[in-house]
Amino acid sequence: MSSQIRDEGHDEDTAEVEAEIADLEARLKAAKERLSRSSPSNPPSASNNNDNNLTRPPSSPTSSQHFLLLLSDSALPLGSFAFSSGLDPGRLSRPTSSPYPFPPTPPPPSPFVLAAYRDPAAVADLDDQLDAAIICTVGRRASIAQGRALLGIWERSFVSSSSSSASSAGAAPVAAPEELFHFFCGDSNDRNRPSNPAPRLRAPRPLIRRRVRPAGLTLPQTAYVFLLSHAKAVISAAVRSGLFGTYQAQRMLASPETQALITAMVAREWDTAPEDAGRASLPWTCGSGGTSCCIRVFLTAS
Amino acid sequence: MIFPFPKSASAAGEGHIVVKLLPHDVSALESITYQYPLKLISPTVKATQRSVVVFLLSYGGGLVGGDQVNLKIDIQPFARLSIVTQGHTKIFKPAIPGTITRQQLSVNIQDGAALCLLPDPVQPFEGSLYEQTQVFHLNGSASLCLLDWVTHGRAARGENWDLLKWTGRNEIWFKNQDTGLKDRLLVRDTVLLDGTSESAHPMPLRETMHGHAIFGTLILRGPLTQSLGEFFLAEFSALPRMGAKDFRTAAEKEKGTRQCALERWRTSRIQQEAQDGVLWSAANVRSCVIIKFGAATVEAGRDWIDSMLAQEGSLRQNFGEDALLCVR
Repeated sequence: MSSQIRDEGHDEDTAEVEAEIADLEARLKAAKERLSRSSPSNPPSASNNNDNNLTRPPSSPTSSQHFLLLLSDSALPLGSFAFSSGLDPGRLSRPTSSPYPFPPTPPPPSPFVLAAYRDPAAVADLDDQLDAAIICTVGRRASIAQGRALLGIWERSFVSSSSSSASSAGAAPVAAPEELFHFFCGDSNDRNRPSNPAPRLRAPRPLIRRRVRPAGLTLPQTAYVFLLSHAKAVISAAVRSGLFGTYQAQRMLASPETQALITAMVAREWDTAPEDAGRASLPWTCGSGGTSCCIRVFLTAS
Repeated sequence: MIFPFPKSASAAGEGHIVVKLLPHDVSALESITYQYPLKLISPTVKATQRSVVVFLLSYGGGLVGGDQVNLKIDIQPFARLSIVTQGHTKIFKPAIPGTITRQQLSVNIQDGAALCLLPDPVQPFEGSLYEQTQVFHLNGSASLCLLDWVTHGRAARGENWDLLKWTGRNEIWFKNQDTGLKDRLLVRDTVLLDGTSESAHPMPLRETMHGHAIFGTLILRGPLTQSLGEFFLAEFSALPRMGAKDFRTAAEKEKGTRQCALERWRTSRIQQEAQDGVLWSAANVRSCVIIKFGAATVEAGRDWIDSMLAQEGSLRQNFGEDALLCVR
């Protein structure tokens, strides 16, 4: 099953099949869980009682839904507090009446998320490329700090639940967090030496993917939750800088326009190669969405 | 009859420049070849010149739909090359819709060698479709100064970002001399201006450009541009914070301006920036310094970059006066 997943093509048909596989996989897992819970060897628990209860809702949330909900949590260190994706300087330099506060192009990392999902083995290379494409001091700072925070969360909170789902889904083993940390963050002395042209990778962004797939998320789901998080981050930055109030922010997030915009962005970025990920790099938006999103990539993975 | 000569390997728009170092530290061309619609001109070498100057031209000063320019540059150890143009590179609307005009530049810079690429801006006309890819491979101690800028079109005809699509990609690679190791990507900066209906943004391109008539990217790397990079970073951190208020009294401000020459220059430059709508930022990305700037008029953008480069002065010293022709 895992090889099926790994060999998937990049076209939409394959993605659909993959979505179906992930869905079936999640359902199989849920069914197995139910079976093991009802077996007599397990100690009785609340869920066990629940299982025999005829009033139990017919469809319990699957593991993938659970992870989807976790990933959309704004309390995770996604960079939204550290980086406004160009909104603050943009607002200060040129007050805008645009009804769409977020940047006109999708955040550059979105093709990286898609690519990392499709080929988890290329994650380190993608991370390196993404780091090379973040051209904004604040964005880079946010990327490093938030990436480390996310690594911490991953290490302390997510790793146990993910390794169990990874093994059950037959996915490739996930590297130990320490290894990943050294791999992505490198040695700080190393980075400051001018003779070293390419400091080790910074934020561990597309790691996400590793976690997403075991978590059973499909590619469209991953892309959507990634871009939705970006929209939430920018709108939250707008609320904090007093552009508009919380009710309006929620209205904006709930609006069909935002949904349509995210769907359009997913469609547009579906076939974009990471090396073509670009943006209109006006001085104040340079790196717009860059880092906070990279982190989000990582996050998405978690 | 059998044709006695080898088959021509030249293709339209192809060019190749090889620069080497002669004794007495004089850089000179080893070879220079080009094919229509690309044209390369180099003035005679003078013993005193600090770098070889090559004019990068196109017939008629512009590229029409479907033109493909493919230029390759090799700079041998310790040689220096400056590339300039003779006016904006105009990009015309293609006669057949959907035809993309392309320029590709592939540069290899050896140890101790340097390239200063300060061309005039690209001027995409209404309805133009353009792609530009510039890839630089640098050895450990190679230096690069690269300016890539684009204007809003023909202002006299009322054009203001009416192009169809403009894609510009700059990549800086670090060459691994150890065999078996892959080259390392240091910076990849992709700029996408999309005026087509495929653009995900609901607003026209013009309105997403926030009043800029020009915007550009300056990329610096290597020992010969180190002081310039440090200068930009220092000036950037000396900028007043966005949204900050100046609470000093007029007398205090007066006193502040009576400081050293650099501070006087900075004060007047910052005033000029506000007047001209110049916005800029500088960032250190993996040992490269990247400056992004935009201005409300093309001339203001040119004046700004000129004043920055002239104030610091090391480019002129390292590459000679002619290297800066296009920013003056």
